Amino acid sequence: MTSIASVIPKLYQEYTTKTAKKLKIIDAYLLYVFLTAVIQFVYCCLVGTFPFNSFLSGFISTVSCFVLGVCLRLQVNPENKSEFLGLSAERGFADFIFAHLVLHIVVINFIG
Amino acid sequence: MKIYLIVGILACFSAAYADQETLVLVDNLNIRETHSQFFKSLQERGYSLTFKLADDANLVLSKYGEYLYKNLIVFSPAIVEFGGQLDTEAITKFIDDGGNVLMAGNSAAGDVYREIASECGFEMDEESAAVIDHFNYDSLDEGDHTRIVVSPKNLINAPTITGVHNTQPLLFEGTGLILDKDNSLVLPILTADSTAYSYNPKNQVKEYPHAVGRKTVLIAALQARNNARIIFSGSLFFFSDEAFNSPVSKVHGDKVKASLSGNKALAVHLSQWAFGERGQLRVRRVSHHREDDKQTTNTYTITDSVVYRIEIEELKNGKWQPFEANDVQLEFVRIDPFIRTTLKRNPSGVYEAVFKVPDVWGVYQFKVDYDRIGYTRLYHSTQVSVRPLQHTQYERFIPSAYPYYVSAFSMMIGVFLFSFVFLYYKDETPKTKKKVPLLAWKRCVYICKLPPSEVAVKMDPSRRQRTQTKASAEEQALDQIAKEVCYHIYVAELLQLSLSNKLHDYS
Repeated sequence: MTSIASVIPKLYQEYTTKTAKKLKIIDAYLLYVFLTAVIQFVYCCLVGTFPFNSFLSGFISTVSCFVLGVCLRLQVNPENKSEFLGLSAERGFADFIFAHLVLHIVVINFIG
Repeated sequence: MKIYLIVGILACFSAAYADQETLVLVDNLNIRETHSQFFKSLQERGYSLTFKLADDANLVLSKYGEYLYKNLIVFSPAIVEFGGQLDTEAITKFIDDGGNVLMAGNSAAGDVYREIASECGFEMDEESAAVIDHFNYDSLDEGDHTRIVVSPKNLINAPTITGVHNTQPLLFEGTGLILDKDNSLVLPILTADSTAYSYNPKNQVKEYPHAVGRKTVLIAALQARNNARIIFSGSLFFFSDEAFNSPVSKVHGDKVKASLSGNKALAVHLSQWAFGERGQLRVRRVSHHREDDKQTTNTYTITDSVVYRIEIEELKNGKWQPFEANDVQLEFVRIDPFIRTTLKRNPSGVYEAVFKVPDVWGVYQFKVDYDRIGYTRLYHSTQVSVRPLQHTQYERFIPSAYPYYVSAFSMMIGVFLFSFVFLYYKDETPKTKKKVPLLAWKRCVYICKLPPSEVAVKMDPSRRQRTQTKASAEEQALDQIAKEVCYHIYVAELLQLSLSNKLHDYS
């Protein structure tokens, strides 16, 4: 327990000092997406699954946004440069936008 | 004119009874006399009977692949082997092709009878065995107690086969039959009383009889899957004039007495059923459509209201008439029945059902499978597909789904805003470092353009300090670099190299 207690402040400190600000922006975006998903899920538990397709598309859109955001974060992170040789951050962002276009077309189609 | 009319009517009749050709196989033509009443009733109903000896060498059932007869009556228990092309196999094929058979034997019936019986799902007792009932025999019995009196209560409860008014006791003399319980197509029309058994009346009973009590079937029937009908009676005597005409008086028990046996009525009914005069059903017309439109279709949408109509007809007195029943059911089947409902009969005689298609899409069948004892099996199925709602048919803007809508749109807006923030964000930190070499370079160029004597003045820190009292840390750093560069230039100039031109090129 003591180790965890000591790890958390260290983690926080490392994060605030060493993480690039660009990544922090992405993290804020991810947090927002995650909270939206949780709210929807709780709402569904309370109200029931009646317009099930609406719930599915709403929930899945948040989940997919989260996944795409994490993918973007991986590509933009300078520490992963060796993993994405020849793929610039701009290319990663273009992929991210394209995937979002496809995702939202599907979501709107299915939401009813 | 009248003659034409009569000929026309006759032609109609002959057309109506075209399928009533009947072959009667007998041991000896004497049977025509001893069973005349039965044959007469058949002839009166329009059957043309062809009497042939069972061992006639020219016996044929079919010619050029067409059957000559629709019905076959076998009243020849003494036969050992049929003549001509007729044998067990031919009779079985005749039944398979839809022919009706009425067979009657007695205790002397041979192996041919047993073979045919077992082909039809009955089992006939051993040769010379007869049904014996020491409690229910007729007063005219000759001492073996084989001329037994059977109550009409032992008849199967199927008015289509046996007729409605069977109140008179029945006379029976012959062998017993055993039925396989698992065979659902076989019907025990008439069974013996619980005191009866089947054994050779001349022998002492040493083994357990094959048929005992109510399991002893006297008359059995089979309606095959192709609706061919077979009546198999253990007694030829049952159909004889003697049995038709004789009074019945039981010796023991409740002393049943009747001036006339019920044999004739039952025999006639059985022949009517066996030869398809009664209990014939057919589907005349089937239609189905959505409740709100009259057009028939083969594609429905889930939760549609569907109207299904079927017209069923029954053959009555040679005419097809609307069938009346209140237990016809419709099934809507996709592997399993999803809906099973009783069809309601309209006053017009059409069976109708209105129901809601289940909320499950797939390929379905409307099935009417009406299988009742005594009636031909009525089976009709129509295949339709049930599809899900079209994309435009779904409910829109459901209040309870608004959070999901909001979430989906907020995701889009979120990406939009995020893109701006992400793209226009720039780190500021590295700006200062890059300025230093550029400024130093410019200073070098400036210095290089001066004559060498002034360079030394410029480079003299003491002189400089006098003219410029203040110098920032930045300028000091710049001077330091410039100093180093200029030193090299100075050395180069001393070596008389025209570096100034080269520097111009670089700048």
